[in-house]
Amino acid sequence: MRKNIFETIFFTEILKGLSITLGHMFTKPVTYKYPFEATPIQDRFRGVQYIKTHADGSTKCVGCYLCQKVCPSECIHIETDCGPNGERLIRKYELDLSRCIYCGYCEEVCPVDAIHMGWEWNLVDNTRDNYVVNMRVLSQNYKDNLEGNWKNKHLKKKLEEGVQQ
Amino acid sequence: MLNVKINGKEVQVAPGSTILDAAKEAGVSIPVLCHDSRLNPFGACRVCLVEQVGMPKLMAACTTPVTDKMEIITESEKLARVRKTAIELLLINHPLDCPVCYKGGECGLQDLTYEVGVTKVRFDASPNDTPVDHTNPFIERDIDRCVLCGRCVRICDEVVNIQAISFLNRGTDTMIGTSFEQPWNCEYCGQCISVCPVGSLNNRVYLFKNRPWNLESEKTICGLCSCGCTVSIDYECNEVFRMNEMPEEGVNHGYMCAKGRFGFDFMNSVKRETEAQITVGGEAKKATVAEAVEYAAEKLKGLKAEEVAVVVSPRITNEEAFLASKLAETIGTKNVFSTETDEIMPEGAYSEVEASDALAVLNINVTESNPILGLAVRVAAREENANCFVFYPSETALKRVATELITGNPDELAVKMEKFCAAMGGADNDFSAMAKTMLEAEKPVVVFDPYNKADAYIAQEIKKACDKVILVPAKSKNNSVGIVDMGFGKNNPADFAKGVEGGTIKAVLCFGENILVRSGWSKLEGALAKLDLLMVTDPFMSDTAKAANVYVPVATFAEKSGSFTNLEGRVQEVSKAVDKGVSADADVIAALGKALGAELPTDVYAVRKLIEKEVKLYSGIQWDGGKVAYPSVFKTEMEKASATAKGSGKFYLYPASLRLHSGSYTRWSPDLAKVYGTPKLELNDADANEMESAEGDTVKIKGDGFAGEFVVEINKQITKGCVSLPEDFASTADIFSLGRYLKAEISK
Ligand code: SF4
Ligand code: SF4
Ligand code: SF4
Ligand code: SF4
Ligand code: SF4
Ligand code: FES
Repeated sequence: MRKNIFETIFFTEILKGLSITLGHMFTKPVTYKYPFEATPIQDRFRGVQYIKTHADGSTKCVGCYLCQKVCPSECIHIETDCGPNGERLIRKYELDLSRCIYCGYCEEVCPVDAIHMGWEWNLVDNTRDNYVVNMRVLSQNYKDNLEGNWKNKHLKKKLEEGVQQ
Repeated sequence: MLNVKINGKEVQVAPGSTILDAAKEAGVSIPVLCHDSRLNPFGACRVCLVEQVGMPKLMAACTTPVTDKMEIITESEKLARVRKTAIELLLINHPLDCPVCYKGGECGLQDLTYEVGVTKVRFDASPNDTPVDHTNPFIERDIDRCVLCGRCVRICDEVVNIQAISFLNRGTDTMIGTSFEQPWNCEYCGQCISVCPVGSLNNRVYLFKNRPWNLESEKTICGLCSCGCTVSIDYECNEVFRMNEMPEEGVNHGYMCAKGRFGFDFMNSVKRETEAQITVGGEAKKATVAEAVEYAAEKLKGLKAEEVAVVVSPRITNEEAFLASKLAETIGTKNVFSTETDEIMPEGAYSEVEASDALAVLNINVTESNPILGLAVRVAAREENANCFVFYPSETALKRVATELITGNPDELAVKMEKFCAAMGGADNDFSAMAKTMLEAEKPVVVFDPYNKADAYIAQEIKKACDKVILVPAKSKNNSVGIVDMGFGKNNPADFAKGVEGGTIKAVLCFGENILVRSGWSKLEGALAKLDLLMVTDPFMSDTAKAANVYVPVATFAEKSGSFTNLEGRVQEVSKAVDKGVSADADVIAALGKALGAELPTDVYAVRKLIEKEVKLYSGIQWDGGKVAYPSVFKTEMEKASATAKGSGKFYLYPASLRLHSGSYTRWSPDLAKVYGTPKLELNDADANEMESAEGDTVKIKGDGFAGEFVVEINKQITKGCVSLPEDFASTADIFSLGRYLKAEISK
């Protein structure tokens, strides 16, 4: 492109550039000042799982091993046994949050609507051991979820906005 | 031969074959649900329907015999629709339990549902909802999931011949159960579980423990009795979850018994030892295997060669037994012992028993002691319509198939067997007709108990009288035959007892044997305690291990490779499935050998090379199922032994075949022990009434030189005036050390 002598003399290109910069200086920023400010959570965000419980507090999970099988990062470990009255008993349900890739397959495969992807994502901790969570923690997550006991302020806010998970 | 076209492909099949057989020949698969090739055709599910060209009616492939020039189509739009409907109809009452169902992942119905592509419920589903039944200690029954294929009923009738379960009611109320809702009159063989295509009959030992897709399988040989069943060990992460059948494979055709199917759990037992132990001056100290071996080797160095004895258990593999004999050679001792002797060697194979046309079962409850041999006898008696003569003090499960069942107290029975034997030799007596049947038969078979000298003599005389008789000595343990072949049957077990008691044996290296519960050896406790060295290897802290100075925990058969020789004399390969972090007997023997200055290989193949070179019978043997060619059944002429009951008293006491157990090993299985854990005195109901004792009462038994207290089990099949006790329990081994048949008084 041939350069216009006029534009060269009057620095119009530079002014154009400066005007964009100036414009941005006065518009609302799109970034969030994490951790001083909460980031918004989309409705279909996949965070730390929770496992639903029945009204009496017992877990809805039936220990079918399907989530263990489908999990691509092999982070679910289940052990079941036969209870004293011939019932199906879940001896152990462990999920390693530090290995989980939050793909949501476990939620999708669960035949009894027990495991769900939550919104919670703040997992900062000073030991890795706490990342392996068991049924008690996962059920507690469900309770926290119902009661809005969020660790993160923004989730509280989201709940106030009236969006239920 | 008939020419048949399956989907346009021409095949030739024998007359009498079904369409399904022809399709198999043509390499075409037809979906089936109620069909099992080991059972008679039934035609209950209509899943296998096929079309014949030129015929409007569809037919069931599993039941319809082919005719010449038949043209069959197995895939068409119409067939797909019909099959789909058949499955849809089955699913009306079927609870959609798959996620929690025992069978989920390996279910015939689940597979078919996917195969025909049922995704929606077209009919009003009304799943059954009956509570599950737990009355059988090993089998969970959930009749809601049953598809009424009848495979369980048929296998229990046609193969096991117990008829414990049958169809109840009619029409839509039809279900599987026991007649009149009685308790299961069952052998606990679990054959019904193995054929059930859905999760209706379930193995309670494996129930809910894991899911099939998590399990890896290893094909191996069951190490619990001499039958030598091919089984699969299903495991995950070094834990055995089940010992499962391999349908139609092996000498057992995929059948198993209660011990294998429900008793495997001892392998995972928390009671298993993990550390070796050295006991000095009554104080037990944990040690490493190397330390234990070193300690034993030091002790051995201070002793003369002939003061050392090596004892092996019939549980160990051929390779280990061979190494143990090499170890004895290194030490320079001829004192090698086991509970087995080389007087009697195998002859007949299962196939010969199955094809036999006249059988005599001499004084052995074969369905309990050797279940698969028992099945073979039943096959002959049912399918081949063979004459089957059963001699036993009480009635046995063979009653249903036996042409004649000869019972009586042990003395009477001995006389009857002698008469039968004489009749075989030409004498004229009550048994002449029976003998004639045997003599005239083409393939007569005699099954006998080789541990009973009197019976063995009779078997020998029968063989002499009629050379075509095939003898089947029913040895008891998984490698009873193999350890003898490896040289552990040369000496009389009684010499071991003498040597230990007399002080000529000062050190005993015992590989796997539980000396203190064996008849003839059970009273050695005091003498064993005085030994300079008693080294015991055992997966568990057995009675003998407790008395040992040196104890080393070792692997069970699921944790090692090698081979066992079964009661037919067939060598079969055992493969390692799991690792429990303990050494195998082979490693311990080799380490001990090394400490004594001999290089012994532990690699299975290296040991086999040596065996082939040094053991004549095994030269050129096929390790994977080859049958050893024994020169004769009896090494030397058996002498006539007395079978008269010793002592005085009102009752005859005889050793019964172990119920649900095989020796002392399976007693570590929590599930078997739950059903049969302590020895029970079996008593006839009339005798029990006279004594006013009921099932579960404790009674005292007293005879010449023994006394004891046992719990009563009332058994109508026991002959009046007789009682039986199981062998191989410490308390009963003492009694039977005095003799096989005893007289006793019983009081409350
Ligand atoms: S979200 Fe994905 S990776 Fe995480 S546990 Fe579920 S299936 Fe496994
Ligand atoms: S898929 Fe659902 S019911 Fe099955 S084990 Fe996982 S959480 Fe439990
Ligand atoms: S029997 Fe088969 S189809 Fe029925 S619930 Fe069990 S796995 Fe599913
Ligand atoms: S366990 Fe054996 S005897 Fe009992 S019902 Fe099943 S097949 Fe019949
Ligand atoms: S219990 Fe199982 S094997 Fe027996 S009829 Fe029902 S589905 Fe068939
Ligand atoms: S398989 Fe032929 S009718 Fe069931």
